[in-house]
Amino acid sequence: MGSMWRKMTATALAFAVAGTFSVTAAAGEKGTIRVGSKDFTENEIVAELYALALEDAGYKVERIMDISSSVIHTAIINDEIDLYPEYTGTGLISILKMDPLTDAQEVYETVKEVYAKQFDLVWLAYAQANDGQGLFISRKASDEYGITTISQLQENASKLRFASQGEFDEREDGLPGLEKVYGPFEWASSKVYDNGLKYQVVESDEADVSPAYTTEGRLSETDKFILLEDDRHVWPPYNLAPVVRGDVYKENPEIGEILKKVNETLDTAAITALNAKVDVDKEEYEDVAEEYWESISE
Amino acid sequence: MLQDCLNYIQGNGSDIALRIADHMKISLIALFAAILIGVAGGYAASVSRRGEKWIMNLFQILRVIPSLAILVLLIPVMGVGMKPAVTALSILAIPPILTNTCVGFMEVPPFMLESAKGIGMTEWELLLHVRFPLALPLILAGIRSALVEVIASATLAAKIGAGGLGEIIFTGLGLNRTDLLLIGSILVGMLSLGSLGIFSLIRRILMPYKYRRAV
Repeated sequence: MGSMWRKMTATALAFAVAGTFSVTAAAGEKGTIRVGSKDFTENEIVAELYALALEDAGYKVERIMDISSSVIHTAIINDEIDLYPEYTGTGLISILKMDPLTDAQEVYETVKEVYAKQFDLVWLAYAQANDGQGLFISRKASDEYGITTISQLQENASKLRFASQGEFDEREDGLPGLEKVYGPFEWASSKVYDNGLKYQVVESDEADVSPAYTTEGRLSETDKFILLEDDRHVWPPYNLAPVVRGDVYKENPEIGEILKKVNETLDTAAITALNAKVDVDKEEYEDVAEEYWESISE
Repeated sequence: MLQDCLNYIQGNGSDIALRIADHMKISLIALFAAILIGVAGGYAASVSRRGEKWIMNLFQILRVIPSLAILVLLIPVMGVGMKPAVTALSILAIPPILTNTCVGFMEVPPFMLESAKGIGMTEWELLLHVRFPLALPLILAGIRSALVEVIASATLAAKIGAGGLGEIIFTGLGLNRTDLLLIGSILVGMLSLGSLGIFSLIRRILMPYKYRRAV
C-alpha cells in the first residue's frame, strides 16, 4: 500500500514536473529530466554520467537509480523516467523478442526502428562499449597454449579445466551456441561453481576457463585474466546507448549531442576500468562517474 | 512439463547418474566423519560435566552458521571442491549425533551399571556390553536426522564445484527452467527416502531385540 502511494505521488509529481517543464521550456529555460538506471554497477555509472552531462548543459536532473532490470522498460513506457542506458542486444532479444543478430550496426538500426514505431522511444547514438557474453582464461594458460581467441580455445579444450555456472552449459547463447559454430568443446574437466566465485577459482588455479560478461571489473586485471575474442561472432553485441522518451527528445533534441559526448569516450576497456573502481576498489559509483566526467569534459 | 523432464533425463542420463553418485559420495563421507566425531564427542561429554558444556556449546555455535556461509568461509583455507563441502556438511551433521549420543549414555539406568559391576564386568566390558547397546537407539535416531539433513544440504556443494544434484537445481534456477528444478529436487527427495529405507534395515540388523517382539 505504502509503495503504491509512493508510486502515485511520484507519478503525480512527474506530471507536475512535466507540466512546469513544458511551460519553462517555452520561456527558454531548461526543465527537469528524469534519468533512470538498472540495478547493477555499470548501468548506474553510465546513468550517472548521463546525468552529469545533462546538468552541465543546464538541465535539472532527477535521478531514479537502481530500478530492477526486468521492469525498467515498463517504467520508461509508463512515463516514470525519461531516459536510461540500455544495451542494444537486450533491446533486440529480451524486449523485442527478436532473433539474435551479430552485426552491431544492424542490431542498433533494428532496435531504433522498432522502438520508435512500437513504443515511441528513441535510441540515441551508441557507445563502442560492449557488455556481452564472453569467456576468459587465466593468463598462465593463455601464455602456455597461445590462446587469445575462442577458436584457439576450442582446439585446446581437452587440456583445459572449465568452471561453469551451470546455466552456461544449457543456455542457447552459452555452450550449445558456441559448439554449433566452433565445434565441440571437450574439456579436461567441467565443474559448476557459484557465479560470484569464478575469478577466485581461476585465480587460485582450480580452473582455467570460465564464462563472464565482457565488461566485468576484474577483467581489468589483465595480468591474471584474458578475455577471449569471439573471432567467429557467435554472440550478439550489447552496445550501450541512451533510450529516451519520444516526447522528451522532440522538445530537447540537443540531448542527443550532450550524451554523445559521454558515449563516444566509452569503449569496452573504459567501462571495464570504471566497473573495476566500484567492484574491485570499492569506490562509490557517484564518485567514479564524477571523476570520469571531469576527465572527459575538460 | 513431464515431457520436458523425460527429454532431459533421456538426453543426460550419464550426467545425472554421475551427479547422483557425487551427491551420495559427499553426503556419506560427511556423515561418517560426523558419526566418528559425534559419537566420540558425545561419549566424552557424557563422562565429564565440564566437557559436556564445552563440546556441546562448540558444535552448537558452529551449527548456527549457515552452511552456505561456512562453504564460502572455508574457501581461503581449503580451496574449492570436495574438502570444504564435506567439512561444512559434517559441521551440520555433528550436533544431532553428538546430543543424542550424550543423552543416550547419560540415561543408562544406574541400577543396570551396578548389576553389571556386580557380576564382575570390567570398565571396558561395561561400555561395550551395557552402556553402548543401551545408548544405541538414541545414537541411531541422531544419525537418522543427520542423514536427512546432510542429503538435503549437499545440494549446496554445487556452489563450490563439488558436484552433486545441486548442479541441476542451480542450473534450473539460473535458466528459470522448471523441468530441471523438478528433476533435481525429486532426485534429492528420492535419495533421502531411499537412504532412510536402507537405514532402517541397518537398524534392524544392529538392534534385532527391538523388533523380535513383533514377530
